[in-house]
Amino acid sequence: MKRFQHVNAKLLTAALAGTLVMTSACSSSGQAATTTAGTTAAANSSDSSNAGTSAADTTAGNSNATTKLSFMIWDANQQPVMEAMAAAYTKENPDVSIDIQLTAYKGGEYWTKLEAGMAGGNAPDVFWMNTLHVENYVDADMLAPLDDAAKTAGLDLAADFPEALVSMYKINDQMYGIPKDFDTNAVWYNKELFDAKGVAYPEAGWTWDDMVDLAKQLNDPDNGVYGIAAPLDFQTCYYNTVFAAGGWILNDDKTQSGYNDPKTQEGIQIWIDLINEGLSPSLASLTDTSADAMFESGKLAMIWAGSYMTPEYLDNEVIKDKIDLVELPTYDGNEANVINGLGYSVYSGSKNLEAAEAFAAWMGGAEAMKIQGESGVVISARNDAQQYFAASQPSLNLKAYTDKAAIATALPVSKVASEMYDVEANSLKLAYGGEMSLADACAQAAEQSDALLAKMNK
Amino acid sequence: MKSALTRRPGSGYKLADAMWGYFFVAPVVIGLAVFYAFPFLQNIYFSFCEVDRFNRSSFIGLDNYREMFGSAELYQSTGNTFLYVLLTVPLGIFLAMIVAALLNSKARGQSAFRTLYYLPAITMPAAIAMVWKWIYNGNYGVLNEFLKLFGISGRNWLNESATAMIAVAVVGIWSMVGYNMVILLAGMQGISPSYYEAAQIDGAGALACFFHITIPMLSPSIFFVLITSLISGFQVFDTIYMMIGKTSLAYESTQSLVMLFYRNAFDYGYKGYASAVSIYIFVIILLFTLIQFVAQKKWVHYE
Repeated sequence: MKRFQHVNAKLLTAALAGTLVMTSACSSSGQAATTTAGTTAAANSSDSSNAGTSAADTTAGNSNATTKLSFMIWDANQQPVMEAMAAAYTKENPDVSIDIQLTAYKGGEYWTKLEAGMAGGNAPDVFWMNTLHVENYVDADMLAPLDDAAKTAGLDLAADFPEALVSMYKINDQMYGIPKDFDTNAVWYNKELFDAKGVAYPEAGWTWDDMVDLAKQLNDPDNGVYGIAAPLDFQTCYYNTVFAAGGWILNDDKTQSGYNDPKTQEGIQIWIDLINEGLSPSLASLTDTSADAMFESGKLAMIWAGSYMTPEYLDNEVIKDKIDLVELPTYDGNEANVINGLGYSVYSGSKNLEAAEAFAAWMGGAEAMKIQGESGVVISARNDAQQYFAASQPSLNLKAYTDKAAIATALPVSKVASEMYDVEANSLKLAYGGEMSLADACAQAAEQSDALLAKMNK
Repeated sequence: MKSALTRRPGSGYKLADAMWGYFFVAPVVIGLAVFYAFPFLQNIYFSFCEVDRFNRSSFIGLDNYREMFGSAELYQSTGNTFLYVLLTVPLGIFLAMIVAALLNSKARGQSAFRTLYYLPAITMPAAIAMVWKWIYNGNYGVLNEFLKLFGISGRNWLNESATAMIAVAVVGIWSMVGYNMVILLAGMQGISPSYYEAAQIDGAGALACFFHITIPMLSPSIFFVLITSLISGFQVFDTIYMMIGKTSLAYESTQSLVMLFYRNAFDYGYKGYASAVSIYIFVIILLFTLIQFVAQKKWVHYE
């Protein structure tokens, strides 16, 4: 027993020492924070927020402001522009200061923190919201309706924003998010690969068949170059063609899925055909090396991509000077595009509810949306501010994205959306991988999704 | 002095003395109570509740368990987890033993080798997974390039049910050998040289010494390594989560129990159901650890 005890004792000591260090560190920092607050009552808000939270946080506004709002976001790339917008707001409203908190989206950290804050009754006043979560949050009474605040701020939701975007944040006839930005889809192409084969670039008004023809001409698998990629990506790829083919994913009542509709399957099958004809890498290959990675290393002639990919492509030294984009090709004579977007929401338990609502509504106004749009990072949701995104890169045809908001279809979401996406991917990957017919895979997806919807509506 | 040590706790201390005792253990006890004991008990309670994203719970009795034991996913994940344990634990300990035996000899550059073998143990699992993911990459991976030298065409290792679990297990073994090696090495160095001298005088060779002295004398360390490896094997998560994408055709055949727990708790927001899954994992680990403690009486020799 001696030796085992020996090893054990060492480990135990180490573990206990670790705990001791951790707890004492916690208590000492807690103590420090209290002391600061206790002794320097006049400490301004930016100082105390820097000391108390991570260095990424910033505060806009007068240090003597009477109303302090916290505002949580997840994208570090957008922090500077959010700061600029908050600064513009606090300049007009000197009694308000805004503390911007950055929490990473990756690994669900943002939502975990937000939900834990709400569970404890102490969440940020204003925060970014997405369509995947909004229904669950409204259902749990965590969000404040913003219709009145929008009216006070002079927003005309129906006239100022794309209809599809407004519909996603309107639940039970009340607005729970002021539209912030949106993303649509387009096709990027590598001009160098087109030039090498002497093929003309695609132009607006092209069709799916045109795209397949181009892919055939550009395909060069022996050199690792493919004409197009067919990743298992719903929002960027096959939902667009499903809608163009007249198919559907979720009915308006959110009671039934549309996978069994032959038109839905038609819109998916054309992607699988690209793989079967060798114009796209296989699903396994695209799982190992993503379509984006291939495009960014010059191995892919054309790629379907959301507007949020723009900064990444333009930051890439290998391809940034060789690429341009064009609107999605029509299928069967129909034009379709999937739109999704973020909103600004307000915590219903906010201690400064009125001020929080006023700030959220102001963020949807013309001035804020112009600042956001001119940053070129995202497309501002307001109809009158969409142009700034396209104008931020005059050499590129970014209008392929911004022009499509009016005709776009909202990304289908529900309270069980994350599960439905998983169910869908788990079934469709069998069809993409050639292990099951698409009809069978869709039947499986429909059965499981309908069960999820039935449970949700119970 | 003797009487002070043998006095039963609480029987004759002055209150002030006892307070000092409590004061000194308080940081650890409070830490354990707040961060381990309370969440553990709360987790048991949650497993009988429906708990939403915002931690609002309503008691539903055994419904979570009924649903869990009725789902094919649970059995698939259990099978996958057992397969992973079976693939990694025996081989991981066996290889660690060989490495420890080699490093126990007085070779040149011994401490450099010890450091190298221990490196995976102090590397972040996420970083390990990312590097191995590239090694296994079907298009540009080092492994396939290497096989090409011998005219063997590679595969999409992480995308085929036949290979994905083995590929993940290799990473698991690679990352556990270092830690196990250090424990075993410490054990080996604690074996008195007099045993070996006596055996050599009686004409025993190196192999005989290893099997008849090293292994029996090392059995407490082996037991310790076995217990910790089994526990971490049953809790496998990081490598699989990082390496196997949702669109991989091997996703179902590599999903571990902790993955199932994670997905329900953090992707879907079913925290009550996820609590039930975590209790299930806890019971499995508890059972295996108990079996080990009973069985060790047969094979672990203490001096």
